[in-house]
This record gives sequence, structure tokens and C-alpha cells, in this order.
Amino acid sequence: PVVPLLSPSCPLIVPLLSPIVTRQRGNPVLRFVRNVPWAFGDIVPDYVLGQSTCALFLSLRYHNLHPGYIHERLRSLGRSFALQLLLLQVDVKDPHQALKELAKICILADCTLILAWSAEEAGRYLETYKAYEQKPPDLLMEKMERDFLSRMTDCLTSVKSVNKTDTSSLLATFG
Amino acid sequence: RMRRGGARRAAMAALLEHESQIFLDLFHSDGLVVCARGLGIDRLLLRFLRLYCEPASLVLVLNTSPAEEEYFIDQLRSEGVVHLPRRVTNEITNNIRYEFYTQGGVVFATSRILVVDFLTDRIPADLITGILVYKAHRLIESCQEAFILRLYRQKNKQGFIKAFTDNAVAFNTGFCHVERVMRNLFVKKLYLWPRFHITVNSFLEKHKPEVVEIHVSMTPRMLAIQTSILDILNACLRELKRYNPALEVEDLSLENAIGKPFDKTIRHYLDPLWHQLGAKTKSLVQDLKVLRTLLEYLTQYDCVTFLNLLESLKASEKAFGENSGWLFLDSSTSMFVNARARVYRTADDSLNEKRKVSENNDGKKENELKRELVLESNPKWEALREVLKEIENANKNSEDLGGPGQVLICASDDRACAQLKEYITVGAEAFLMRLYNKTFGKDEKAAEVWNKDRKAAKAKGSARPNTGPQAKKAKLKASSKENKNKKQQDRTLTQMIGKTEEENGEKELEVEEHQELSNSQESDTEETVPEDFRINLPSDSYYGIFKTPLTIIHPLQGCSDPYALTRVLQEVEPRYVVLYDAELSFVRQLEIYRASRPGKPLRQVEVYFLIYGGSTEEQRYLTSLRKEKEAFEKLIREKAGMVIPEEREGRDETNLDLVRDATPASFSTDTRKAGGQEQKSVQQTIVVDMREFRSELPSLLHRRGIDIEPVTLEVGDYILTPDICVERKSISDLIGSLNNGRLYTQCISMSRYYKRPILLIEFDPNKSFSLIPRGSLHPEISSNDVTSKLTLLTLHFPKLRILWCPSPHATAELFEELKQNHPQPNAETAMAVTADSEALPESDKYNPGPQDFLLKMPGVNTKNCRILMNHVKSIAELVTLSKDKLSEILGNSVSATQLFDFIHMTYSKAMSQGKNKR
Repeated sequence: PVVPLLSPSCPLIVPLLSPIVTRQRGNPVLRFVRNVPWAFGDIVPDYVLGQSTCALFLSLRYHNLHPGYIHERLRSLGRSFALQLLLLQVDVKDPHQALKELAKICILADCTLILAWSAEEAGRYLETYKAYEQKPPDLLMEKMERDFLSRMTDCLTSVKSVNKTDTSSLLATFG
Repeated sequence: RMRRGGARRAAMAALLEHESQIFLDLFHSDGLVVCARGLGIDRLLLRFLRLYCEPASLVLVLNTSPAEEEYFIDQLRSEGVVHLPRRVTNEITNNIRYEFYTQGGVVFATSRILVVDFLTDRIPADLITGILVYKAHRLIESCQEAFILRLYRQKNKQGFIKAFTDNAVAFNTGFCHVERVMRNLFVKKLYLWPRFHITVNSFLEKHKPEVVEIHVSMTPRMLAIQTSILDILNACLRELKRYNPALEVEDLSLENAIGKPFDKTIRHYLDPLWHQLGAKTKSLVQDLKVLRTLLEYLTQYDCVTFLNLLESLKASEKAFGENSGWLFLDSSTSMFVNARARVYRTADDSLNEKRKVSENNDGKKENELKRELVLESNPKWEALREVLKEIENANKNSEDLGGPGQVLICASDDRACAQLKEYITVGAEAFLMRLYNKTFGKDEKAAEVWNKDRKAAKAKGSARPNTGPQAKKAKLKASSKENKNKKQQDRTLTQMIGKTEEENGEKELEVEEHQELSNSQESDTEETVPEDFRINLPSDSYYGIFKTPLTIIHPLQGCSDPYALTRVLQEVEPRYVVLYDAELSFVRQLEIYRASRPGKPLRQVEVYFLIYGGSTEEQRYLTSLRKEKEAFEKLIREKAGMVIPEEREGRDETNLDLVRDATPASFSTDTRKAGGQEQKSVQQTIVVDMREFRSELPSLLHRRGIDIEPVTLEVGDYILTPDICVERKSISDLIGSLNNGRLYTQCISMSRYYKRPILLIEFDPNKSFSLIPRGSLHPEISSNDVTSKLTLLTLHFPKLRILWCPSPHATAELFEELKQNHPQPNAETAMAVTADSEALPESDKYNPGPQDFLLKMPGVNTKNCRILMNHVKSIAELVTLSKDKLSEILGNSVSATQLFDFIHMTYSKAMSQGKNKR
């Protein structure tokens, strides 16, 4: 298991264009951000992952020692990004109580909670958020058939009151 | 007939010695009965049902299937019960439900309906006489029944709870299952009735049926194949252990691997980490399954069916490129060689054997086509024929037994039965020939050769032992005619519908001749060639062979009616039972059947037990016997060490399981609180989708003092507040729904109608609390990873919150806290939320309907959809646009062309295109 080296009190960013140096050097998570370019910068969150996405990083072990820290960070962050992540590394044996508290905090602070069980996994999330910044959701959507008829059926059945049989009769009538 | 039948049944229904003891025990004191498989748990339940079939009592029965319910109702009807059990279904509308229950008697109900009725007070809980829980072992997995029983006990302290199961093995797989089930059942007593129970054993010993065990030996080739499969199985198991060193070695023995429950065992071990397993392990599990199927096919069916399975495995391997590995082992080669040799010999082989002629390539090719058919018969078939002959002889001198006895042949499944029927009616050769033509029909030459051989053999007066069906049938016909001259058969058979014996026989002859003439064509007849005759038997899965004496084949498993065989046994009253395949519970059932007819010494039962000696089939049977015995021994030990709290039954206020309070049960020592005097200012409520009751969460929420409103929700699973909508996903659900697009759709609707959409990822407390296996991260970002998809999901739904809960208990706690200081949700509003309802005003400035429509069209994606909607007022306007205009709007001519072509495609053109493709 990876021991978080530094207190996550120095935020770090993976910015869009310009790498700027700031606080959170030496976080082992950084060793695993390899697939996207990044740099240090002077920013409020720990990571800026795109125009409207940012993340705070928190290790549960650190949180258990300094429970006030994350509140402070969230307060200073405000609501400046559309998607604000709390990237939480689960690195204690019995995380449940703390997890519950953090889940509640996240709902109150409009944060999306993401759990990682290793620095490597946390790094992967950071990379992926950056890499997928512009990615359309097609990957998540139902696979569409390629041919005309099934696409047309899909199209027409997206109207609530139309079912598949209706579709074929509609097509045959109005083709 | 009815009257006589009734009398007979009444006699049958009288309980046996041990049965009345079980009955009395359970009647006097609530408890869980675990009895040996086939020992008649159904008879016991039936006895209780009969007791409560009266309007003065209201007894609910849980966990029965519709087919079982029908069986029980039929039995009770034939015993003359007036107030028959009724079923609660969705057809009985909510407003008359209460009345329905108050009419009393026995009521079969599905758990889902009962949960809802209890929660909404549509059932008069205080009027319930008691609850009978059938298949109580299901409570190990399912939470619904436990919830029902808790709701019942909270409101009803007097009624009984009695539970039944004959699956002792189910309690053997985990830790303390029986203790937990008993706790959930609110029962103190555990009644164990293994087959080796002294009362059962000594009683059944007195009424033993005559059993003739026939050990059939497999042919050398079958043995060789079995050895190969076992080799491969072993190799796969070794691999599995190598990849997963944490697995317990004992349960992954070869002995267990050949048994049917092995799938469950392996899932039991691998499920907790299933989403973390490597592809290799998963394919090994699959391989093990395939290999077990092969083993079953080997002893169950004929050589052609087996070879066909094997060849198709190989073909699909080639087609899909799924490299399972074992196909390349040496043993696998030997298996193929032997499997083919059971069916045919290529001329090539025989030539090589006889004289070592070196051939040129052309000759070889030709010879490969000339397969010489071998078509090895099943040794068990021959054995079955012997047995039938013996029975026939016995039936000839059966005056002192009251005429010839009926014969019941039991084989494992429908296919095996159909095969046996065809074998008996047309003989091994014709049957195998037909199968061969059906499966490998293209090879006409071989068929011809075979046919010639066969005719020659016949002409010679058949030197082979396997003379074909002719001679035999003649004999059978003769004998059955003799029989006919004797007195008429059992009264139920006089009503048989169908052709006479002679007609049947002629039909068979015709069929066979037809076969011979046309066997080079693909046979168009179904599996069962001769026409079936139907008797009014209470089962639709049997195959009749002879009518006098009645001889029928019935499958042991896979009938739509689980009691089909039981019904047939009661109706036919066979004197001879041939077990072509062995199944533990039916063997026991036969013992009970024999013992329950003590007054009929003439009606001896003879059981013929056909089994391949030294085969995996035999091993499987012995293992299942041993497993059950071990399970009972463990249960006996557990029972001895059980400490059961005095308040277990929850008949007073001291059972903490019944307390509805947010504080953990272990803390609340103040029992006065439990009565519910402590009222919160506002009663907390959560609206729950009905489909969610399979999980433990609703029950846990209820236990925390939160009221549950069960409704059918189109959007979301749990509505916590008017704003918070939760979609619950277990890990496997999460992965599945991320892959098939469901979750995306669900997130769309949740965000459309609720301010705070929440995705709850719920982990199984018994499995590891992590999403991806340690060290399994690829060096590159992969769009197939669940983490990547989750990332993408949150990117597209920035308002979606995620809850990660390590267990349902944690979820319940969190839900309660999330609700604090928030208004209660309204069930009617939540129910009204469908894709038709108005979206939240601020959620989207675009109309969702047309947006969905547009997104389904080719060339439109989420990015250009908005642009398109900004430019075009309606779909009607869209279709009027030119291709150029479209590409101007979309900024991409390829997408524009796709969209334009799609809009302007005519139906007829599309149809013809479609046809061309096919």
C-alpha cells in the first residue's frame, strides 16, 4: 500500500494548457498521472481537470487526523466549477464511519465523491477526467444498430406513445 | 372411478410413522424442519394445509411456485377438502385485498405481494393464524421473507411460524446459515430428519422395495473418453488454483467438480471477487462447465449426440476464436479420436489398419468421404432391454400377483426419455442412423454403405448380437397379446385414448421401413418418431411405450410441473420401476411410495437401478449421498451448540429484532421504548420501488423506524425527499448497466425530474470493498474499464452525486441521515414521474422529446445536437433543409450527408436494401 507522503495541503493541478507550479508536490498520486500532460500551478482546487472540472484530493488517513481540513478546503473552493470532485483515497482499515460523513458533506457541498483504493487508481481517475474532457457519452449509450430500419425504429420509438409495431406500420404507410 | 381413486388417495395420504412424529412435533411447537431429500416434505406441508383449510383460520404459505400450488390444491381436492387454498395475485385488486384475506383459509402468496400488503395494512395482520414457509433454505439468500415475518411478528404475537425445507446441503456452504435462518424465522426449534435418523431408517427398512442394481460397464471407448475428460478437468482445476491461490483446495477437488452443484460451489468462492477476476479465471470457470456437460452427455445420450456436441464446441472455438486452451491438450485429441470412432471409421483408418498402403493425395480425399459407420450403441440400452425382457417374463406368470404390473422407466431429462422411447420402439441401429443423418446428414455415402451392411446382416439371419428391433418387437407383441387375453388392466387405463396395440405396432413397422428407404434424406421427423399415444395421466412430460401392461418413460427433471413424476407414480402405481438414471430424491420417494402401501403385499415394488460401474455418473450419485449426510451431520453439531435466546419467537416485547428504532439494537436496553411510544415529531418516509424488495435495504430502513411506501417507480429506486432520487446499483448491476446503456438513460431521467439525482453504488459486505482488483490497472486509459465509464458518466452528469456504501446497513444509516431536516417525499408524485411528465424547469431549456428523437438519428451526436436545436425550430423544419444547409449547421459534411440520407430514405428502398443484405 502506498503511504501518502505529504499532507495534501498543497494543491496540484493538471491544467488545460499552462502548467503552473503550486503546493502539492510529492503526492504519490502524481507518479501515476502519465498519460496526460500536467504541471504545477497556482489554483484554488488541488487539480483542475478541464474548463469546468476540478478535484480536491483527500486521503482518508489524513482526514482522520485532521477532520477539519476538508471543510476548510470546500469552503474556499465555493461553487466555481460545474463538476467538483472529491477524490478520496481509501487507505484506512475501517473507512465506513468517515465515508458516511464525507458522503453527506459532498451532497451538501455539491461535490461528486469518487473513491480510489490506491494512489495508482486515483492517478488514473485524474488522467481519465482530463482525457475524457471532450468525449461524447456514446460509450455509455445503448449500442445502435447500423441499418436504416432499426435506426428508424429507435428514432420513432423515442416518442413515448409509439411502439415497435407502430413503427413498422408507420413506415409501411408513410415510407 | 373418482370414488375409488379418492379412497386410494386417502389411504396414501395417511402419514407414515416418522411423518406423524414430525407433524406432531411441528404442530405443537413452531420450528424449522429440515428433512432428507425425497423424504416427503411435500406430504408434510400438505398435511398442515389440510388442517387449516377452513374459513375460521387464515394461514399464509410462502415460497411455493404456481405449479406446486396447483399440485397441493389438486391433492386436497381429491381428498374431498371443501375450502380449498386460494392464491393472491395481482388480479385481486387492492381495494378488495383486505376482504379477500378475511375470508380465511389457506392463502398462497408471493412474497412481493405480501410485503406490500403488510406495509400498507391491506392484510389483517392480527387475524392471521399462522405462516407456513416452504423451501425455508431460501431465506439464506432472500431477504423478502424475513421482512414479511418481521412485519407479521410486530403486529401479531400469537400466530405460528412453521418452516420446511429438504435442502440440508444449502446450509452447508457458509457460516452459521441455519442459526441466521432460524433467527429470521423467529423460531426456536430445529427439527432434523436425515435419512439415517433411527426412526426413519428402521421404518423404511421394514418396507424395503426390492432393488436390483445393475452395474453396466461402459465400452472401452467411452471409458477412454471419460478418462480424457477427467484429465482435462483436472488440468483446468489445477490452472484455476494456480491463478487463484486463495481458493480453498478441498472444495475444488475432482470429485466435487463432476457434481451438479459444483457451479454453485465455485460461484460461492469466486462471486465475492467476481468483478475483480482475470479473464483467464473466468474462461476456466466456463471451461469447467463445458467439460461437465460433456461428461453428462457421455453417459446420458448416444454416441452421435456426444460427437455432435464435441464437434460444435470445436467449430465455435474456431469461429469465435475463444481460446479456452483445453482443446489443445493431448487428452483432448484422444477424446476426439474416440468420440469419432464411436460413430464412424474413415476408410482411411481401416485401410491403414489392414494393410499399410501408401496412397496418393487424391485417393486419400476420396477415402475421407467414405466413412464407414460404426454407431456404437449405449450399453445401458442393452441393459434396459434385458430388464424389460425380464419384466415381460415375470408378467407372463403374474396371475398370483393380480395380473401384469405396470412399468415406469425414469431417465434424467426429456431428451433422454425421448431417446429411450425411440430406442425401444425402433431399435438402436435405426435410431442412431436417423440421428446420424440428422446431424451429419451430408455424408450420404457412409449412410449407404451402412445401409447395405445392415441389409446384408439381416439377410444372413443376423449374426450380430444386436439384431435390430424386428425380432424383439415380434416377441413383445406376442407377449402383450397374451396379456390382453388375460383380464383387463387397471381401471384407469380402460379410459385410455389412442390406437390399439396392433395399430401402434404397425405404425412402428411403417416408420422403420420409411426410415430405411429415406435415410439418405435429412429426416424431417421430430425426435420422437412413432406417434405418441396419450393417456389421461396427470403429467404432460411422459412417453408412453406400451399400453398393456402400461409402460411409460418419465423424466426425473425439467418438467414444468415439479410434481409430475409424483402424480404419475400415484396414478400408475407401477410394480416395476426402472431407474435408467439415478437421482437421490426419487430413490427416496420410491422408498416412501413402497412404505406407504403396506397393506398391499401383493403389490410388491421392484426397482431396477441401472448405473455405469466406475463412471462419473456413479460417483456423482455417491457424492450427492455423502454431501447430504455430511450436511446433516454438520447441522446436528450446530444444533447441539446452539444458544437460543428465550425471546426468539418475539411473542412478547423483548425480541430486539422487532424493535423499530434508529439506535443500533445492541444499544437500546430500554425495552419500554420498543413499544413505539417514543414518537418522533414527523414520521420519516421513503418511497421505494417494488422491485427493490428483493434486497435487504427496505427491511433495514423499516427497522430504523422509517416508513416504507411501496410503489412502482418509473424513475429511480428510492425517493428520500421531494428532491432526492436514488438509483441503487450493486457492483455487477453497475458494470452491466454502464455497458448496456441503461444507467445512462436512468441518469437522464433522474436529472430531468429531480434536483438531486444520486447513484448509489452498494458493495456486498461479504465481498471486497473496492471497485477494481489490486494491480489490475492497465498502463493506458481503457474505455472498457468501469472507472473510465464512471468518469464519463460524471462528466456528463455533473449534478449526479455518487454514494459508495460498503453494505446495506451503511446505506440505511446514510439514507436516514440524508433525510434529516428535509420534507417527506410524496408517493403519488413519485409514481407520477414518467417520461411523459414535465421536466424540471431549469434542467433543460430544450424540449427533451425531440432531443431524444434527434439523438437517435445517424450523424447527430450530443455535441452537434444542441447546435442543431438552436438552428432548427422543429423536426418538420429539419426535414425541409437541404444537404448544404445541414452541413453548414452541423459544420461537418459527413454527418450532414448521413442525416440527410437518413431523412430522405424511402421505405421501399430500405426494404430492398435490407433484403439484399440477407
